[in-house]
Amino acid sequence: MRKNRVPALLGLILVLSLATISAFAAIKTTTIRVEGMKCNHCSASVAKALKATAGVEKVEVSSEKGEAVIQFDDEKVTEAKLREVINSTGFKAIEEKSAKN
Amino acid sequence: MQIPVIRNTQRLVLRTGINVLLGVKYLFEVKDMLRAIVFSAALIAMQGSSLGQSNKAPALALKDLRGRTVRLSNYKGKVVLLNFWATWCPPCRAEMPDLIKMQREYRSKGLQVIGITYPPEEIEEVRQFIRKLGVNYPVALGTKETKTLFDQTETLPLTMIIDRQGNIIDRIEGILLPVEFEQKIKPLLK
Repeated sequence: MRKNRVPALLGLILVLSLATISAFAAIKTTTIRVEGMKCNHCSASVAKALKATAGVEKVEVSSEKGEAVIQFDDEKVTEAKLREVINSTGFKAIEEKSAKN
Repeated sequence: MQIPVIRNTQRLVLRTGINVLLGVKYLFEVKDMLRAIVFSAALIAMQGSSLGQSNKAPALALKDLRGRTVRLSNYKGKVVLLNFWATWCPPCRAEMPDLIKMQREYRSKGLQVIGITYPPEEIEEVRQFIRKLGVNYPVALGTKETKTLFDQTETLPLTMIIDRQGNIIDRIEGILLPVEFEQKIKPLLK
């Protein structure tokens, strides 16, 4: 009985560790420079559109800095898609400044 | 033999005292409870009256680009999207093709989009912009005060949803997302 339990336990530990690792690896933070975000009252649309995108966890948009800091699940959404969403709000996503886990 | 009698009397006095105190406490609790009931009833009544208050859209009469008067009251019976926008506002420009499409697709179901410009705005620039885009709904020239009638913020774009009876039923801050159209506007177009 004990011999049967050991591999099962090891298997469970392996599955759990893989699940934990993949869960942590999926969340990324990126800063995207947004051109043309000069009017404070219009920039709310960028945050709104990003927040409505599947896979986006957290968004902070600063019209003063002209950038959007986005926390996202890279298994659900790509950075290219995020830039596309920003562009759809009438602004222009310039380039990715940084991306980290 | 007297001692138990005294003890019993003391116990009786003590018990009576406790009961009196409990009674007073109970009375206070009842009083508090009654007060809470009266307060809640007043609150419910107030909420009821505020719900009963109509959320009628204010009367609006603005000039369009040709100098004709656009009156909100003329659109009673339609689901009106009052869209505040400006040519200098990128998201306002970005959502206009969607508004044009909505107007085209849902006109027969009673949808009426009305654009209201927000200053500072050059009439010629507005004219050129709506011509270029092929805007298929009336566009009136608004002021800051026009927007203040509906909303205290300076957020642009802003879309007010007005039902067929002329009541403001919702507002959409920022660009109108497809999911918002599905959830907030489409159910009214039946």
